[in-house]
Amino acid sequence: MARFFLRNLFSMFITMLLVSAVLFFLLEVAGGDVTVRLLGVFATPAQRDSLRRQLGLDAPAWQRYLDWLAGSDWRAQQMTPFPLVTMPNPQTGEPGWWAVVDDTLTRWRLADGELIAMQRTAEGEETTTPAGDVWTIDDAGNAIFWGVDVNNNLVKWVRGSDVDVLVLSKAGVRSETGGPQQYIPLRKGILRGDAGMSLQTNRPVSSTVFSRAANSLILAGAAFLLVMPLALVFGVLAGVNEGKLLDRIITITGLGFTATPEFVIGVFLILIFGIWLRWLPATAVFLTGDAIFRDPKILVLPVLTLMAAEFGYVSRITRASMAEVMQSPYIRAAFIKGVPRRRVIFRHALRNALLAPITVIMLQINWLIGGVIVVEVLFGIPGLGAYIYDAATFGDFNAVAAAAMLTVFVAVLTRLIGDMLYTYLNPRIRFA
Amino acid sequence: MTTTTAPPELESQPGRLNRLREALAIVFSSRTAVVGLAIVIFWLAIGVISLFWTPYPPNAQLFDPNLPPSAVNVMGTDHLGRDTWSRIMAGTQVVLLKTRLATDPRVVIPGGVAIWGVIGAVLVGGLLGVNAGYRGGAADQVIMQVLDAFIAFPVIVLYLVIVTALGRGDVIVILAITVTGAPGVARLVRGLTMDIKTHDYIRAAETRGESKWYVMLWETLPNARGPILVDAMLRVGYAIFAIGTLGFLGLGLPPPDPDWGSMVNDARKYIYSNPLAILWPSLAIATLVIGVNLFADGLREEITRYQR
Amino acid sequence: MLDVRNLTVGYRTRKTVVEALRGVSFDLQRGEALGIVGESGCGKSTLGWSVVNFLGANGFIREGSIRFEGEDLVGRSDQELQQLRGNRIAMVFQDPMQSLNPSLRLGEQMREVLTYHQQMSTEEATTRCIQALERVHMPDAAGVLDRYPHQISGGQQQRVVIAMALLNNPSLLIMDEPTTALDVTVEAAVLDLVAELRRTMDTAIIFISHNLGVIARICDRVAVMYAGEVVEQATVQQIFHAPQHPYTQGLIRCVPRLGADKTSSVLYPIPGRVPRPDERPDGCLFSTRCQYVQERCRHELPALRQMPGNAWVRCHFAEEIDPAEWTPPPDAEIAPQTPPPANAERLLCGEHLKKYYRVPGTSLASLFGLGEKKFVKAVDDVSFVVRKGTTLGIVGESGSGKSTLVKSIIGLESIDGGVLEFMGVDVRGDLSKRTLETIRELQMVFQNPDSTMNPAYTVGQQIARPLERFKTVPRGQVRDEVVRLLRAVRLNRTYYDRFPRQLSGGEKQRVGIARALASHPDLVLCDEPVSALDVSVQAAILNLLLEVQHENNTTMIFIAHDLSVVRFIADDVAVMYLGQLVESGPVDAIYAPPHHPYTEALLSAVPVPDPNANSTRVRLEGNAPSAINPPSGCRFHTRCPRRVLMPDGGKRCETEAPMNQDAGDGHVILCHLPLEVLRHLESGVMQAGM
Repeated sequence: MARFFLRNLFSMFITMLLVSAVLFFLLEVAGGDVTVRLLGVFATPAQRDSLRRQLGLDAPAWQRYLDWLAGSDWRAQQMTPFPLVTMPNPQTGEPGWWAVVDDTLTRWRLADGELIAMQRTAEGEETTTPAGDVWTIDDAGNAIFWGVDVNNNLVKWVRGSDVDVLVLSKAGVRSETGGPQQYIPLRKGILRGDAGMSLQTNRPVSSTVFSRAANSLILAGAAFLLVMPLALVFGVLAGVNEGKLLDRIITITGLGFTATPEFVIGVFLILIFGIWLRWLPATAVFLTGDAIFRDPKILVLPVLTLMAAEFGYVSRITRASMAEVMQSPYIRAAFIKGVPRRRVIFRHALRNALLAPITVIMLQINWLIGGVIVVEVLFGIPGLGAYIYDAATFGDFNAVAAAAMLTVFVAVLTRLIGDMLYTYLNPRIRFA
Repeated sequence: MTTTTAPPELESQPGRLNRLREALAIVFSSRTAVVGLAIVIFWLAIGVISLFWTPYPPNAQLFDPNLPPSAVNVMGTDHLGRDTWSRIMAGTQVVLLKTRLATDPRVVIPGGVAIWGVIGAVLVGGLLGVNAGYRGGAADQVIMQVLDAFIAFPVIVLYLVIVTALGRGDVIVILAITVTGAPGVARLVRGLTMDIKTHDYIRAAETRGESKWYVMLWETLPNARGPILVDAMLRVGYAIFAIGTLGFLGLGLPPPDPDWGSMVNDARKYIYSNPLAILWPSLAIATLVIGVNLFADGLREEITRYQR
Repeated sequence: MLDVRNLTVGYRTRKTVVEALRGVSFDLQRGEALGIVGESGCGKSTLGWSVVNFLGANGFIREGSIRFEGEDLVGRSDQELQQLRGNRIAMVFQDPMQSLNPSLRLGEQMREVLTYHQQMSTEEATTRCIQALERVHMPDAAGVLDRYPHQISGGQQQRVVIAMALLNNPSLLIMDEPTTALDVTVEAAVLDLVAELRRTMDTAIIFISHNLGVIARICDRVAVMYAGEVVEQATVQQIFHAPQHPYTQGLIRCVPRLGADKTSSVLYPIPGRVPRPDERPDGCLFSTRCQYVQERCRHELPALRQMPGNAWVRCHFAEEIDPAEWTPPPDAEIAPQTPPPANAERLLCGEHLKKYYRVPGTSLASLFGLGEKKFVKAVDDVSFVVRKGTTLGIVGESGSGKSTLVKSIIGLESIDGGVLEFMGVDVRGDLSKRTLETIRELQMVFQNPDSTMNPAYTVGQQIARPLERFKTVPRGQVRDEVVRLLRAVRLNRTYYDRFPRQLSGGEKQRVGIARALASHPDLVLCDEPVSALDVSVQAAILNLLLEVQHENNTTMIFIAHDLSVVRFIADDVAVMYLGQLVESGPVDAIYAPPHHPYTEALLSAVPVPDPNANSTRVRLEGNAPSAINPPSGCRFHTRCPRRVLMPDGGKRCETEAPMNQDAGDGHVILCHLPLEVLRHLESGVMQAGM
């Protein structure tokens, strides 16, 4: 059992690694020129080039993949003697990168060709002082300095350089002369919970993703918990009465629900309950984070939509499994022993019949997540699905990658749970 | 008995005809399959007709926007004053009948996006699956591990990622359907192969010294075609479903040709003033997907009964 | 006690109703055992199911009555039948693993029979279950109740099923092929158990089997079924010594006797096959295959008539047919009789062959490639010689390694150690390392007729493929050659365009043989080619193989678990146990003393189709050990019934591996016991049929 668990865990790890590689290379490598999106189509090639350098896009793809996956601070740390640390910003709470110089958090910026050190005191106050002579001479005879800038990059400043550089800051893009030559964007990497900055909002992806995910979890969880008992009961009912009228009704209803896309079901529900009957709100309006709890009515239609989509599939699998078990020799043997039908079904058939759907149900989480995206877009719920969708339409690679990784992780984890549950419930494996 | 003249070649032709008749008999012995087939043929017919004739040009803004159904516009008009029925009719084309190539949208190849996507998935998945299943061991583990990574993606998320990375277009959607479908096909084919592999006729081929590819392609796959066919049908359903969803999300097949999902998306904004506009394309998608599913389901039931 | 009259059972199909049983009548006294025998598709199992009126959704009793203890069971409600099932009437099925619920503990499955029918408390039920298990000689009876079915062996599972059936002391026990899925030594032990239970209980038994030998051991009376009808019913003595119906006579003629070999006896197959329900002839159902058929038989269905001596026969001419005057029909497929060639050259020879399989470890360490590596020693130190034109039979129970040995010879597996030479060529490697010339000389005939042919291609295409691949004949003559091969296996040219699903089991097996012969191989390996066939077809295939061998001077290796079949077809025999050859030599020497104790047990386990055979029973105890951890010393010592004859009581067998002893004429026995002792064992093995 432990061995089985470890093997699955290992396989899950490999899967996630592969998924991350697929995501990264699809999005970052095949994804086209991000500078067009940021600078607009009228920027000059030189400007684009400069921005690419600043975003660290001049590094080779494998390097950027490792940075994205496991962080770039390892690499950056070799450039500077000062330890690199992250500290939350007192106002926004978002983490920022600092170098520790003489026990003081320090960043640098360039003003009129000279470096200015910005230090944060223990109380959170920021002071600025001229950096003084921090320069070192490299092999080519240039005076250089590696330091952290205000945009969380490790920057190589070259003294007296007259190359024009575009600097992207929270205020926008401005041109600077004489200084920054090479950038290593500092990040902890997605494995350590840092998914980088959103290109759309310029805020850390991680800070948004999790709160969004919570909304989705409520939505999907409610639908999952409500539909599973229903679908299992109806699936078993249909399977036991295979070929009879009840079976036909359940099967056809289920097929109708599975074959109808979520957005169609959602639209019908909105039309019926939201517009014609006016019983329920047609769209969710989330003004505050806890709106779901204050007015659960807004969740009714989205949850119903998801339930309809799930119901068909799970009931179908359960029916097929139940019908197959009811045909099996050991069920015939139980009948021949004179065991009453009720007991044959509940004691003999049910346990075997529900084994197969477990793994399938857990695989269905994938489907549910897909449904969640559609439902959130349709009903305007600010969840993870809507987040991916917004990021995807904008082309926000970091956000898409992080959110996709999260959904895949949930999917893989539930599959692992399903496999383990199956193993545990199946005596043939448990007592192998 | 000792005649050595070659037997007339006609002998095998009635055999082939018989097989066709048998296949048709399978379809017609299932009420479910017949109903499904009828729905699919209905939409195919609508699509073919729309290639030559629609009541009004589907992209022309000839009427007032958001008209209710009337004798002139049987399904009303959309938010740009285009005839909804004409657009619904033309909407079958991109799904089932034609694919616009990325290089020049005017260059069209026959076969809809859903069809090509599924063909791609079956080819890629079939080859991977039969290799994994037949070779077993390390090859199997590597192939399945990679496919597991793709299966782990929620399908729509993978679509979103592909569209984000590669942009929009018919060929991109075909690619997305192939990528999302291939792992499932591969799993199915792998399972079938591992079952077929246990049969003695595979041993017979091996003891004849046949190559691995011969055994896979000529001895194994022909016996897996029934389930693969049914699975492909179901996948056409999923593909139509997915194209609709992508269209609804505004990420699907590019304009100007009408596409049902996009029509739902457009009509959504006018749901209070013109609720019926959203109903028609929704119904179109739902009926076509249900039709394909019924057909595949009926076929599967009959094939398993037939094999018993 | 049970009186079945004129029972007709139908199954609804989409188009029509198929009659699985037609006008079946028999009765059964208390404590009596009635055997139901017949080929597959004759309705034996349907008969068993219809007695308990459990025919599934589309089966129904059309006509007739089933009176059980004075009450008619036909038309009773499910509720009432439920009271009887498992209580007054119990059933035992073919595959015990299938009839036990995999996810319930055995105790629960057994107890519910008592708690439902007798309102017994759980504790009392448990006690009764333990008693019942002890009655079927189940070791550790109390412990077994806490186990799941997969945790005990097949033979033990069948004991549990029998114990469960007997819990309520039913007055009728229906056993449907209860030993068919078991190995021959396990089968013998289960049959002993049934025989013992018959002596101690007064339960009546309906015993369904295709195996005449098993029927002969267990039953008092026998009903022979053919195509849904009972064609003859009589005492077991009458059936085996004075059969009256031509079908019964044919059945008995086509079974190889344990004492019979190919030089001294001939098998006479019944031509044709059992007609499918939709193609049954008018008149007598057997008329299409009957040698004595007359015009009247084709029109008029004979009635089941009572004959002298309480026998019932369904034949118009039963009085006129005398089996003693029977002569084989002129077109019968009878094998030519040829003595084995003396001193033929060696074709294949193996020395100290080894084939080990890695077993995936179950420990955590093995996950990372650490820990002890375990191997199944499927073939361990096996040496043999096959001479040209002869047949080597390999005998052993499941797990003995006989299939692995054959796979290694044909090249599906490579060999891990030892020498394997074919016509002087080293063939240790698998197929990928062999030349096309070697590959074509070694061909194989497979066990399962349903999987031996690819369903996607016609018969002609499948036989043509090896012809094209090995370029046996020029391209233009392939079709003629295929037709010639078809004729060689006695199929006419109309089979060329047929698909496998249009063929019967025997016909598929013939095509399989034709395909193997296509490359004119020197050596044909037959892996249980007749074990899945009905006896009448089995005889025809055996004859065909002998004929093919006679005409082409083909060499054969013939694997089987049926010792009578091997005796009939082989010139030399090798007996395998846990990957080793325990005994090998000329066929006559193997079947006569001195025996290896394992061979002796195997031979005494064979059910002999003769009710008068009373062999001294040598039975093996316990389960076959795992080949991962074979026992030390002699691998057979854990189950050897003759170990006690060793001077030290068998201590040596546990520690020291025995050496081969030469009993002369190439007869070799792997045992510590001296040949003198082995020669004079009190074994009654050969009394039957010799």
